[in-house]
Amino acid sequence: MKKRLGSITLSALALCLAARPAWADTPRLVIGAVYVGGVNDYGYNRSFHDALTQVARDVPGVKLLEAENVPESGEAERVMESMIQRGAKLIFPTSFGYQDSARKAAKRHADVCFEYAGDGDATRNFGVFFGSTQAAWYPMGVAAGKMTHSNKLGFVIGLPIGYALGNVNAFELGARSVNPRAQTIVVVTGGWSDKAKEAGAANALLDQGCDVVGMHVDSPATIIQTVEARGAMSIGFQSLEARALAPRGWITGLGFTWTPFFTQIANSVIAGRFRGAAVYQGLGQMVAVAPFGASVPADVQKLVNAAATKVAQGFNPFTGPLKNNLGGMVLPPGASVGADQMGDMNWYVEGVVGKVR
Amino acid sequence: MTTPLGLGVLAGAILSGTSLLYATLGETIVERAGIVNLGLEGIMLIGASVGFAVTVASGNAWLGLAAAGAAGGLANLLFGWLVVARRANQLASGLAMMFFGFGLSALVGAPYVGAVITGLPKWRPAWLASLPWVPGSTLFNYDILTWLAVPVAVLVWWALFRTRWGLGVRATGESPAAAFASGRNPAVLQFQALAAGGVLGGLAGAHLSLSLTLTWAEYMTAGRGFIAIALVIFSKWNPLRAIAGALLFGGAEALQLQLQARGADVSPFLLEMFPYLLTLLVLLAWGGARRLAAPASLGRTFYGSQ
Repeated sequence: MKKRLGSITLSALALCLAARPAWADTPRLVIGAVYVGGVNDYGYNRSFHDALTQVARDVPGVKLLEAENVPESGEAERVMESMIQRGAKLIFPTSFGYQDSARKAAKRHADVCFEYAGDGDATRNFGVFFGSTQAAWYPMGVAAGKMTHSNKLGFVIGLPIGYALGNVNAFELGARSVNPRAQTIVVVTGGWSDKAKEAGAANALLDQGCDVVGMHVDSPATIIQTVEARGAMSIGFQSLEARALAPRGWITGLGFTWTPFFTQIANSVIAGRFRGAAVYQGLGQMVAVAPFGASVPADVQKLVNAAATKVAQGFNPFTGPLKNNLGGMVLPPGASVGADQMGDMNWYVEGVVGKVR
Repeated sequence: MTTPLGLGVLAGAILSGTSLLYATLGETIVERAGIVNLGLEGIMLIGASVGFAVTVASGNAWLGLAAAGAAGGLANLLFGWLVVARRANQLASGLAMMFFGFGLSALVGAPYVGAVITGLPKWRPAWLASLPWVPGSTLFNYDILTWLAVPVAVLVWWALFRTRWGLGVRATGESPAAAFASGRNPAVLQFQALAAGGVLGGLAGAHLSLSLTLTWAEYMTAGRGFIAIALVIFSKWNPLRAIAGALLFGGAEALQLQLQARGADVSPFLLEMFPYLLTLLVLLAWGGARRLAAPASLGRTFYGSQ
């Protein structure tokens, strides 16, 4: 679990001060957003901030309260309570570790709607959502498989959890669909935000001859910049804005596009029709392919877009026959692993260099 | 082209060893003066975040570097006020400094999360760039902190062991009463050692944020301050041995990443523990031997000799 210290008191204070004057033209809906990090991280938190800012701009009468760097502790509950006191009727607890705090607050305030980015059960005023990224990594693999010269692709992950393994596996499957010799080498750093190790991991992959690096960590910034400085190429993750970090080596990336879903939720709360549900959407809905870098040829872009369309239309890369990287058959012909079973994935597909445990 | 394992580990060891070495040198000076600063982790964090914040605000990484050193020095002087002037318990004060460093660095760094900096410039002399494997690796492509790491270690060694000031610092660490009797002021020497050590700790943090990762993230030191404290013991309070220690521990971290990138058949969790296992082994091996002992008055509060 991520631990965030400090600065919350200040942001809460700033929030109180900033919120006051705008009450003059009473908003139709006040949305409270709770972030575990800073909203300028080129990653996870920024994706939510960008989407909610857009909602506040698009939907008339919506006012947004934000709190950054909120630790995943009782502090989160206090922040949500203070937002509710300021009139928030829709709360977005955007980090996995806010689950307990958010559920408690939702029980106390039946008139406030919650949309929690994580998993678990939905209740009447408590919705659960997340973007399914695993299959979306398939077109990223297509891009990497076409762009690589060394046929060695690198992938840095924080911890070998099922969701991260799914990202790696789809990436390799996509790469091999266009380049049978493509390998994906995985380095685990042991945490979602150990920046110095992320730099070391990227360097180790580049030392090994990888020329394209993807990642699943909180913020892709350090890895993308390390790769860029050494003249290799990168595929970003979490925020579509990360391409600014690699003017030369950026191929493409995946980012979260929450705006349509958030807009729909905001409208349903305004109309009094909100009912909590578990919503998991993948490519084409909550997940989008980032713009291509200048170095990506048109024919590669076409292939990647075609693969993305295929995934958006329901193609599941985790469909048997599939072998794991130890040579065993993990999915017999016809069997498949759905987006809802990704948390349980515990193998690397053939072609991935790495050990799960 | 792939870099041979040894070179890859060496390259990684130098990069992650740089901040370890500065932090270890800083703590060595402080401990030679008889003070244990367990807050080193916090000092590094303050250096990392202040350095990053000033770099973003001014657009100049050199200013950031200077600010990081200054902030580290000031933080250590605050610690000195506690343990030297107020004679507070060093271990408790050190831990308090660590948490203070966590909070302060988070506060200072929060507005700058996600800012993009160019960082400290790196040089690779042309004649080194023509060596085999070098162009495709990070070898010899270093910022000023890495290039100066070994010279600074030599300088610290010289200052501690070849100057009158160093003699006074070491005398204070062994026996403040004796230092006092020989006409020195232990408190002044301890404050000086703390200032110097704090500057080095701040620079250690700055290397992480301004060069290695080009980013600020809360608690980005991830335990490196504590490894540096262990390295002081490993190097037997000797700045020159600290070079080897920093390389060894930097190498342990690099090795686990390099082995994974090579597809070694070892559990990533096992590799993860490697640097810490090494720490434990070293403490175990060194422990007990009296001739390797710490400064005699390390951690003891000097109440004066009136």
